[in-house]
Amino acid sequence: MSTLILIDQPPYGGWTGREALDMAFSLAAFDQPVSLLFCGAGVNWLRKGQEPGQVRQKSVEKNLSAATIFGVEALLADSDDCNRYGLEAAQLLSGVELVRADAQLFAGYSHTAFAG
Amino acid sequence: MQDSSPLSFTIVITGAPYSCQAPQSALSFAQAALRAGHRIDRVFLYGDGVHLASALASPPSDEPHWPREWSAFLNEHDIPGVACIASALRRGLVDEGEQKRFELPASNLLPPFTIAGLGEWVEGRMMSSRTVYFHGSD
Repeated sequence: MSTLILIDQPPYGGWTGREALDMAFSLAAFDQPVSLLFCGAGVNWLRKGQEPGQVRQKSVEKNLSAATIFGVEALLADSDDCNRYGLEAAQLLSGVELVRADAQLFAGYSHTAFAG
Repeated sequence: MQDSSPLSFTIVITGAPYSCQAPQSALSFAQAALRAGHRIDRVFLYGDGVHLASALASPPSDEPHWPREWSAFLNEHDIPGVACIASALRRGLVDEGEQKRFELPASNLLPPFTIAGLGEWVEGRMMSSRTVYFHGSD
């Protein structure tokens, strides 16, 4: 039973993205196969060099960089949405895999979930 | 077409009452599922959904009291209702144990809801035949 957690909201403006990350880390902690898919404005989570200190939030860059160490199988980003937000591969955190978020991708997972 | 084999559900609610319809839709779903002979293993409140477990919600008397309606439903059918501890603490939903731990002036968790970690959600997904999510409008 493999789960795909989707993050389609941009960082910092809301809490659902962070709560989706917690869901993924929690599944990984219980040895449940899980991957994260960033799509829509959610791809901005993967931008390198975020400095959210001025809006008094913590960067999740370290958490995301460590995701695979904690057992998250893959960090996936929709390539069209990366293009839409002007994110080139070099601007993405390391370890991110560009994919097309289509039916074929979703068919590879038994569960998909959003945090909200 | 009807499939007669009973299913078990874990219900996840991430939208708050009076902000969105998620708790109401989830209750209608849960009632319909039981009527159809299915089982609800557990209800898990996550994110803003934890506000459903507030003992202090006081809507006008001519509006539905969703926390109390959910509480009565869980009691009647002996279904565990769990609020995610990280979501709950951030939003000021605490039981007596957390009240003591953080030296807070009050607790406000409506029984039979309890507070626990995301592990309850993970376990629910593993034991139930379906996990159904009720989200807010974000």
